Amino acid sequence: MDIELSSEDLTFIKEVRAFFEENKIKKDEDYFTWRNNWFEKAKKKGGWDVPKWPAKFGGPGWTPTQHYIWEQETTKATIPFDIPFGLGMLAPILMGYGNEEQQERFLPPIRERTVNWCQGYSEPGAGSDLANLKTKAVLSEDGTYYTVNGSKMWTTLAHVADWIFCLTRTDDSGIKQKGITFLLFPMKQEGIEVKPIITLGGAHTVNTVHFTDVKVPVENRIGEEGKGWTYAKGLLEHERTGLAGLSRSLFELENLKDLARTVTRGNSNLMNDSGYKAKIAELEIDLMATEYTELRSLASASAGAELGPESSILKLKGTEIKQRIQKLTVEASGIYSPAWGEKSIGFPFAKGGTTGYLNSRYFTIYGGASEVQKDVIAKKVLGLTKRSSK
Amino acid sequence: MNFELSDEQKMIQQSVERFVQDNYDLNTRISLSSDDLGYSDDYWKSMAELGWLGLPFDESDGGFGGNQIDVLVIMEQFGKGLVLEPYLASIVMGGGALKKGGTESLKKEILPGLVEGTKQLSFAYAEQQSRFDLEDVITSARKEGDNFILNGQKSMVQNAETADHIVVVARTSGGQIDENGITLFLIDAKSDGLSMDHFPTVDGLRASEIILENVSVNVDRVIGNVDEGFEILQSVANDAILALSAEALGAMEVLYKDTVEYTQQREQFDHPMSEFQVLQHRMVDMFMEYEQCKSMLYRATMESVQDPKSAQRTIHGLKHLIGKSGLFVGENAVQLHGGMGVTEELRVGHFFKRLLVIDAMFGNADHHLQKFTTY
Repeated sequence: MDIELSSEDLTFIKEVRAFFEENKIKKDEDYFTWRNNWFEKAKKKGGWDVPKWPAKFGGPGWTPTQHYIWEQETTKATIPFDIPFGLGMLAPILMGYGNEEQQERFLPPIRERTVNWCQGYSEPGAGSDLANLKTKAVLSEDGTYYTVNGSKMWTTLAHVADWIFCLTRTDDSGIKQKGITFLLFPMKQEGIEVKPIITLGGAHTVNTVHFTDVKVPVENRIGEEGKGWTYAKGLLEHERTGLAGLSRSLFELENLKDLARTVTRGNSNLMNDSGYKAKIAELEIDLMATEYTELRSLASASAGAELGPESSILKLKGTEIKQRIQKLTVEASGIYSPAWGEKSIGFPFAKGGTTGYLNSRYFTIYGGASEVQKDVIAKKVLGLTKRSSK
Repeated sequence: MNFELSDEQKMIQQSVERFVQDNYDLNTRISLSSDDLGYSDDYWKSMAELGWLGLPFDESDGGFGGNQIDVLVIMEQFGKGLVLEPYLASIVMGGGALKKGGTESLKKEILPGLVEGTKQLSFAYAEQQSRFDLEDVITSARKEGDNFILNGQKSMVQNAETADHIVVVARTSGGQIDENGITLFLIDAKSDGLSMDHFPTVDGLRASEIILENVSVNVDRVIGNVDEGFEILQSVANDAILALSAEALGAMEVLYKDTVEYTQQREQFDHPMSEFQVLQHRMVDMFMEYEQCKSMLYRATMESVQDPKSAQRTIHGLKHLIGKSGLFVGENAVQLHGGMGVTEELRVGHFFKRLLVIDAMFGNADHHLQKFTTY
């Protein structure tokens, strides 16, 4: 048991830092030109444009320690923004369950960031109880295409997505986990209507999506018909680990301390207020422990154990931590936290803080609400069964 | 970076685990605790024979050259049986002070007997007014020729009753709360002028209040440099916190697992209690607190092995978390055991009481939270 970094790891840190430094965005440089060049150069480094992909699919094939180092360094550097749906969520499914043709067709544009994906999972009647989904897909008589009808809800960035990966129901005769089929289809086509949902912070990121007689060729089906739940479940675990966002939280916590120091409190500043300081400290200690829970889970994953229920602990703790940071930001804004609208009033962080806090409430709801994560741990780790349900 | 124990450490872990399973059922513990000695001398001898007492000491002092990770391995298993033998007081604290600051001749005189189990030590640092502040020391040591003369009072001293020597923290210069001016002395437990008042603690262990009245000790019994003892004191306290936290972790594991088992067996409202979701989520919370404590313990221990100075902040964080989570797990284990949880008949209450004591040792959750904010 030791935390010493090997000389290879130390070299790796230097290499990563040098790469970030060399490829910083320059003053007046066009963001998208910079972004494309950045990924191009990262690709030449040996798969750094797709850090989490396995070597077999062109990723760097890093050790858990290298992944950890990368995570830590990315939060301190300016790197291009990525949307996780294609790269982090669909790609592992394609690699695990897609056929070769599908892999060749869909993975390259995901890697090139030329196609934006969205995730068609939740529905008006299927939130935490995701398997209850009703969007219907009916196979044509000649067996060449499905016709999809129904509605998806809370679909993040559906309004800018080119494609959707979608869970549909092809059979409702058995238990609800069976008869779910995993389909991929373009968003820009007749029969698909996207309507915005505005969340508490005033932002438009999620949508309702309606499907009316959308035709999907069978070659766009992942794996077998009716087995979509199995594929999606593996993906949910990936999603949950990703949602913890610990390195990001470390960075944001340091930011929060800095801005709390700019807030006056008597003759001193808010970071010297004993109550506020204690809340910050408690949060940081929880974050330090959770970081090691993540490392332990990475280590057991690399030793061959399946990515399993630890990901539920990480999602629970990680999202709670993110929310606490947002809440303490609102607290720091004090009398200015209610200021709303276009203008920047009072502290420069006040409005963003309140928006961030309101938006952060969904962290413990999406990707399986915290209460569902607890059900998962109760069943899978503690071996507890629930009272028989209908 | 890796979290695997070495093969030797795995062997020690298994042998301590077996020892605790075979020798530490609740009734044995209760009867040992109420014996004259308060623990088993036979067990202590076995621990010496198995090499556990020598584990953290250098090979040149008759030990096996282990570090804080080895102590973690032992203490975590001890925590699963609430072991009574004075490993913490004698080996980690008393022995640790000698290892860190003792002269070669003092180490030669004491450590071999300590490792063989024929000698015991105790570590007297706290005082009535000091609460959890290590630097708050009034007990004075005045130099007179080749001797120091000690006067004062020491509180909540573990294992003083059976110790041959006591490491006493005293003030040789400076004000009451100065870090400078603190000196550590190795004092014979039978010294003239030293009197003790022994009493049980709520967890089934023993402690003593000590009065020092003109106790004379030769200058060659000073551990470390005169006036510069704080660093050793802090370092011993850190090692003790790591060891206590490992013990707490073992205790927390027993508590959450016992609770899961109990709720599966006991039926109320025509169902096993474990089927009620409100109880399931409570047990998940207990499990998560346990896992988070384990992560923080690994972090603090590994950082201490790598660089003790830079680990200080993490150690404050660890003791905060252990105090808070330990009581959370303990209180909820009692709660979920219902009426039986508040009786002496089930072991959960005993484990809960030990966690209560661990929180009060070397600074409670609040104390360490405050310390954490000073960095």
